[in-house]
Amino acid sequence: MNYLDLTIKEMHEALVKKEITPLELAKEAIKRAKADTNNAFETILEDKAIEIASELTEPEENNLFWGIPFGIKDNFSTKNILTTGSSEILKDYIPVFNATVVEKLLNAHAVPIAKTCLDELAMGGTGTTGHKGITYNPYDPKHERLVGGSSCGSAAMVSAGIAPFALGSDTGDSVRKPASFAGLVGFKPTWGRISRFGLFPFAPSLDHVAYFTRSVEDAAFALSLLAGRDLHDATSSNKKVDDYISNINDTIKGKRIAILKEVIDSIRDEKVLTIFNNTVEKLKENGAIVENVSFDLKLLEACYPTYMVISCAEATSNNANLDGIKFGPRYGGDTYQEVMCNARTKGFCELIRRRFIIGSFSLMRENQEDLFLRAQKARRLIVNRTNEILNNYDFIYIPAAPNIAPKFTDSSDKLSTNYLIADNILVLGNFAGLPSITLPIGLIENMPIGGNLMGRKFEEKELFKIAKNIEDGTGLYNLSSRKLVK
Amino acid sequence: MNFEAVIGIEIHVEMKTKSKMFSSAPVEFGAEPNTLVNPVDMAFPGTMPVVNKQAVINAIRVANALHMKIDQELWFDRKNYFYADLPKGFQITQDKRPIGRDGYVMIKTNNGEKKIEIERLHMEEDTCKQLHLSTYSLLDYNRAGTPLIEIVSRPNIRNGEEAMKYVEQIKSIVQFSDVSDGKMEEGSLRCDVNISLRPIGSDKFGTKVEIKNLNSLSNVEKAIEFEITRQQQLLLSGVPVEQETRRFDETRKETVLMRKKTDAVDYKYFTEPNITPIKLSDEFVKNAIETCPELAASKKDRYMTILGLNEYDSDILIQDKDVSDYFDKAVKFNASPKLLANWIMVDIAAYLNKNNLKIKDLQLSPEHLSDLIKLIEEGKISSKQAKDVFAVIVENDASPIDVANELGLVQMSDEGAIFELILEVLKENPQSIEDYKNGKDRALGFLVGQVMKKSRGKANPAMTSKMILDELKKK
Repeated sequence: MNYLDLTIKEMHEALVKKEITPLELAKEAIKRAKADTNNAFETILEDKAIEIASELTEPEENNLFWGIPFGIKDNFSTKNILTTGSSEILKDYIPVFNATVVEKLLNAHAVPIAKTCLDELAMGGTGTTGHKGITYNPYDPKHERLVGGSSCGSAAMVSAGIAPFALGSDTGDSVRKPASFAGLVGFKPTWGRISRFGLFPFAPSLDHVAYFTRSVEDAAFALSLLAGRDLHDATSSNKKVDDYISNINDTIKGKRIAILKEVIDSIRDEKVLTIFNNTVEKLKENGAIVENVSFDLKLLEACYPTYMVISCAEATSNNANLDGIKFGPRYGGDTYQEVMCNARTKGFCELIRRRFIIGSFSLMRENQEDLFLRAQKARRLIVNRTNEILNNYDFIYIPAAPNIAPKFTDSSDKLSTNYLIADNILVLGNFAGLPSITLPIGLIENMPIGGNLMGRKFEEKELFKIAKNIEDGTGLYNLSSRKLVK
Repeated sequence: MNFEAVIGIEIHVEMKTKSKMFSSAPVEFGAEPNTLVNPVDMAFPGTMPVVNKQAVINAIRVANALHMKIDQELWFDRKNYFYADLPKGFQITQDKRPIGRDGYVMIKTNNGEKKIEIERLHMEEDTCKQLHLSTYSLLDYNRAGTPLIEIVSRPNIRNGEEAMKYVEQIKSIVQFSDVSDGKMEEGSLRCDVNISLRPIGSDKFGTKVEIKNLNSLSNVEKAIEFEITRQQQLLLSGVPVEQETRRFDETRKETVLMRKKTDAVDYKYFTEPNITPIKLSDEFVKNAIETCPELAASKKDRYMTILGLNEYDSDILIQDKDVSDYFDKAVKFNASPKLLANWIMVDIAAYLNKNNLKIKDLQLSPEHLSDLIKLIEEGKISSKQAKDVFAVIVENDASPIDVANELGLVQMSDEGAIFELILEVLKENPQSIEDYKNGKDRALGFLVGQVMKKSRGKANPAMTSKMILDELKKK
C-alpha cells in the first residue's frame, strides 16, 4: 500500500501517527504527476510543493488538511503561480492574489501539487478544448474515452491517485459529471456557501466552487474547511457553517427521495438502470421512502437551451476584460478596436467564440426579450418545479449520467438535435443553487458510473448523510484507476 | 415662427467616499497615476464587486434632498461595451431600478420660482482616465471605480438661466451633504446637456443635440444660449438640426461639433449576477437621511429665523459650503451673528480675494474671529481698532485680546484704575472744579481730556466722564 492512495481521513491518521510525512507524500504526488499520461496538468508545482511540505513537521491533529496533497483547477487565481484558464489568451497570466478557497487550503497547510487542465475557461463538458489539448480518462489506458469536463484535469488527478482532493468548478455539471465518468465523489454546495472570490467567472449566477474526493466523508471534511462568509464575495452567505461530520452515519429511515421519471425514461443503457435500481433498493431497505416523480417534460427539455442562453450571456460579459489591452497578448492592430478584435479572435478557441456570440446575440436589444429574458423565465419555472418537489421530498436522486464515459468519437459540445434529458439534468442544481453530490454507484466494463443527489438549500449535512448511506451500500469507496486499471 | 427650447440635463457626480464603489482602493484626487488601484479596479479575473455602504448612504441623502422615491431594494446592472478605458469590459450601474425616482428641485430665476422635475438618480462606477497623445494613449486607473451618482432631469428646462440654476442647486446639494466636492472645473461634477427646439405650442420633440465639456456654471448658460440661437437660425433657414454631440469652446464662446451620432450603442444590459439584491431597512434609510449634514436651504432658514440675519446675508453665506461652515463654527462662540456675517462677507472675503485664497486656507480660526467681535461688543476696542487687530490675527491666528494689548488698543474699563487717575487730575486742577461749580460745563470736558491723557488714551471716555461727574457732585 502507498499512503498516497488513502483518502484524506486515512491519510490524516497516518500523518498524525507520523507513519508518513507531508514531504514524502508531496514527493510521491509529484512523481506520479510527472508520470501522468492523461494530460491532467497545466503546471506541476514541484518547488512550491516541496517547499511547503518541508516546513510541515508537527502534525495538527484537529486539522484534517494538514500535509494533504491537492490539485487546483487552473481557473482559480493563485498568487505568483501561472493561471491560464487553459486558454491561449491567459497563457502568460500570473495573478497577484489567491482565490479564497486556495488561501484557506494553504492556511490549513495542505500542499498544492498542481494546477490542472480544464475545458477552456471552464466552458465545455468534454475535457477536450483546453489549450493543451485533450485530457483522457485514467480508467481507459487506450485513451479513447473522455473524462468529462470542464474540470477534466482535477478529475483525472484524483481518479489516478495523484491526490485525494482537487478543486474544481461547476457551472452546469463541470464537477458532478466528470465525477461520474472518473469514479469519484464530486460535490458542489449551495450557491453562496463557498466563496467564489478568485474563481475565474464563467456564469456567476450558476458558478459554484466544487471539488473531487474519493469518499463522501472527505467531501464533508472539505466543506467544513471551505464553507463560510467571505467579505470579498458579496454573494457568500452569512449562514453559520454546519457540522457536516458528526451525524454522517445516522439513519436515513423515513427520508423521502424523489426519482425523476423523465430522466429514467430517457436512459437507454439498461446496465446503468440496473445499477441505479440496485442502489434504490438498498435505500428502501434502509428505511428511505423512494418514489417516482414526474418533473415536467417540457421544462426538462428547456434545461439545455436555458442553460446555454444564460451561461453564454453571462460569459461574454465576464470575459470582456480579456481584450488584449488589460489582459492577453498583443496580437497587433492600429486602433483599440483592432487590438481587441484580434485578441478576442486569436486568443480563444472556436467553441468559446461560438459561445460568446450566442451570449452576445441573446443580449442584443432586439433579442433580449425573446432569448435572454425568456431563458430567465424558463429558469424560474424550472427552479420553482424543483423546489416544489423538494418541498415534498428530502432529496432528488438520479443517475449522474446516462452512460459511462463516452468515446471521443461519440461526443461533441456542439448543439445537436439528439437531445438527452439525462445528459443535461445536473444543471437543475445550478439553476436553483442547490447542494448536489455525485458518487460512484457501479462499474460497467471496468468504467465507473455515478449517481447524483440534490438536496435543499444549505442542507448539505443531510445530503452527506444520504450519500454516505449509498456509499456504504455499494462499498465503492476510495476508487481509483490505479487499483482497477492494470 | 417662435421656438421653445426643450432641455434635459444629465449630471455625473463623483462621490468623495474613502474607498471606491465596488473595491477597497482609496478615492483621492490628484494622486500619482495608477497608485490607487487594486485587483478589482483592474478587473483581474476572479475579482468580485462589493457595494460601498457609504456610497449608498450618499445616494439616499441626495435622492432625499431631491424629493425622490427611494427604492429600498438595491439592484445593479451591467452595461456592456468594449472601450479602452473600461477595465472589465462592462460598467456596473443601475439601469432597471435606480435608487431614486421621480423627484424635483425648486429653482429661483429672474422670472420667479420654477420646479424642475428629476427622472432618476442612480449609482455607478467611473471609468479610468485616458490621456491621448500623438501616437499613444495613457490610462490612469486611479479614477476607475470611483463612485458616481448620475442625476437625470426631465426635459422641462427651457433656457440657459434655468439650466444654470438647476446645476447650481444640484451642486449645492451634493456639496452641503458632503457627498462630493462638486467641482465642475476638476470634473467631480460633470454635466451633459440635451437640447432641442420646437415651435411653441407643439408637443413633439425636435432633433436633440448633446453638449459636453461644460466645466463651469456660466458655461452651461452660455453654451445653451448659443446653441438655442444656432438651432433657431438653422430651423428658420430650413436646414434640419442634426443629431450630434457638440462641446463648448471656451475661447470662441460657442459649441463646436465633436461627432455625429449614429445609431445608439446597444449596451446589452443585464442584472449584475455578483451582487444579489440588497434590501435596505427602513431604519437604514431613515438613519442615512437624518444624519445628512445640513443642506443650504435649511441653513438659510435657520440663519433667518433663529439667528435673525436678513435674506441677502443668508444667501451670500450659503453660496459656499465652506463659508457657511466657517460661519456656523464662529456663531457657536457667541459673537453677534450679524457682526460675524458682516466680517466674513466683507473683511474676510476681501482678504481672501486679495490673496487669492479659499476660506479653507484661512489661518484665522472661527473662535478667534468670534473673540475679536466680542471685544467690539464689550466695548473693549472700537470697530476701527478691530480692523488693526484683524490685520494681524488673520495671518497668524493669534488671540485677539493679546494682539489688542500688544498694540495698546484695549480701553481701560477698570473703575479702580480710572478712579485713581481722576483723583490725581482733580487734585492738580482745583480751578476747573471751581469753574464747573460756577456753571462752566466745558470744565468737565477739560477734566475728561486730562484723564485720557494720563491713560494714554486707553480710559473708556464714557466711563471716565460719568465718574468725574459723580466726583464733582460730591464736592
